[in-house]
Amino acid sequence: MRKDIRNFLICGFILVVVAIFPFFANNFIIRFATDILMFAIMASAWNIIGGYTGYASFGNVVFFGIGAYITAILMEKAGLNFAVAFLGAGLGSALFAILIGLPVLRLRGHYFAIATLGVAEAMKALVQNLEITEGNSGIYLPVLNLSVKAQYYFFFYMMLGTLVLTLLITYLMLNAKFGYSLIAIREDEDAANSVGINTTYAKTMAFALSGLFTGFAGSIYAFQQAFIKPGPAFTVHTTVKMIVMAVFGGMGKLFGPLLGAFSIEIISEILSNYFLVAHTLFFGIVVILAIVFTPKGIIDLITQRKFGIAYFLQNIREHRI
Amino acid sequence: MILQIFINGILKGGLYALMAIGMSLIWGVMDIINIAHGSFIMLGAFTTYWLFTLFGIDPFLSLLASMTVLFILGYAVQRYLINFVIRASAFITLILAFGIEIFINNLALVMWTADVRKVKVPYGAANFSIGNYITIPTIRLIAFILVIIISIAFFYILNKTNLGRSIRATSQDLDAARLVGVDVARTYSVTFGLGVGAAGAAGTLWAILFPISPMMGGVLTLKSFVVVIIGGLGSMLGPLIGGLTLGVTEALGSNWFGSTYENLISFTILVLVLIIRPKGILGGTD
Repeated sequence: MRKDIRNFLICGFILVVVAIFPFFANNFIIRFATDILMFAIMASAWNIIGGYTGYASFGNVVFFGIGAYITAILMEKAGLNFAVAFLGAGLGSALFAILIGLPVLRLRGHYFAIATLGVAEAMKALVQNLEITEGNSGIYLPVLNLSVKAQYYFFFYMMLGTLVLTLLITYLMLNAKFGYSLIAIREDEDAANSVGINTTYAKTMAFALSGLFTGFAGSIYAFQQAFIKPGPAFTVHTTVKMIVMAVFGGMGKLFGPLLGAFSIEIISEILSNYFLVAHTLFFGIVVILAIVFTPKGIIDLITQRKFGIAYFLQNIREHRI
Repeated sequence: MILQIFINGILKGGLYALMAIGMSLIWGVMDIINIAHGSFIMLGAFTTYWLFTLFGIDPFLSLLASMTVLFILGYAVQRYLINFVIRASAFITLILAFGIEIFINNLALVMWTADVRKVKVPYGAANFSIGNYITIPTIRLIAFILVIIISIAFFYILNKTNLGRSIRATSQDLDAARLVGVDVARTYSVTFGLGVGAAGAAGTLWAILFPISPMMGGVLTLKSFVVVIIGGLGSMLGPLIGGLTLGVTEALGSNWFGSTYENLISFTILVLVLIIRPKGILGGTD
């Protein structure tokens, strides 16, 4: 109990620090922090279906793209304000997750991964060809009518609020029966089924939650960019980034993806400052080394408080042939 | 007209099949989804390109060279990298392969720039006609025949040699294979080498037929997925059937709906096949 209170106070303190941080930073830093928050939302949302439920979705970017496009269409074509479009984007993505989840969540392992990848790619191709999405030329959104500084604040706090909501819902979920049924599904789905867990319902709801928050992130992104195209909105690299962040930080842990998003973004930024052309090359090396030496994520490294070479060697010994 | 489209589809489908043979082998034996597969195809293509451009070696002759180079590379990657995490969840190897993909693609980008290049052989435009309506480009036909020969060679290695027997034993039961004296680490390395070697061969043929660039790999990985899924794992016939199906469907589809719909068609087929027949059309063992 005392430990709970201590953790709660630490989280509150960090949140306050992050919340007042924009007042001491320039626009570039605020924008960079907003990007980190966006990826933290998406990696945490991925964690719900990939980390806790054990269904490695390789198509979560589809919710991001759908969220962005619903926002663009509602604001530009239907003339609605951002608040409505934001909610519509989240709910639309969640609904899509339910529709696509019902058939696709019947698949397991690699087959699920590839099916979701296929859904995302098919959706991209569809958006490229539809009339309402204006194909490859993309859609312009109305620009937020605020001063430049206020715009930076707006998007920063939108992302921060959404991230806090995502983590809060995940936390509540973990302490409810629903969270336990997800973990039971990850450990052994047939056993979970036979003890009376409605696995179809639980899996689909987890997928819908994942879609909801990713859709929110896509909605804010679209409004921030004020212009979206199918290519960047549905790129498979966004999915991969979510997954790498979640795994790098520690999947199936509440704060793992957040930690992963933070460190991966900082590492990429530092690398791109030092190596103009080759920084993605070094990013590849970072991913390879992280997977070989810390397959459980850096959050494991921190909570176990083992920093020595023995920890890395033990990880290798566990998984090598 | 429809027959011509059909033949074009089959000729391209053969290449898709060759791309998928390596991926299917690696996936079936070691449960690794090799996301870097397209990047290895790209390396095979560039091996052929440089041998042709620098030394004037005929691209069809460089087939052996690119297969050998890629086999050695694949063997080393498995032996000194993937074997270290092979017993972690399949998901970990997936991300490792993704890291390898980023590394290879960007190394190629730094070394060779993003230019689109083409192997220009003097006999590139040669073709012959059957009847009045059908024209077959000669190099595509030769490439198709090579695909068949390489597939048969793979079939032979897997089914008739000791190496093939140890590969199949390892894929069926790792511990039992180890008990009867199979060097599992080496078998895995050779398997990965073979799969990547097939990717190298596909790369050579791709370089002969189409323009190449360091970033070509991503789409090819996705297409290899589609083919493996359509054909199903666990048999050598799967990739062939999957490849031909994809080639013909794409050719017919872009004729009817326009080529912008090509990707929509492939990925819709992918999702539908997965939902209706998760084990592939042939329904091989998982």
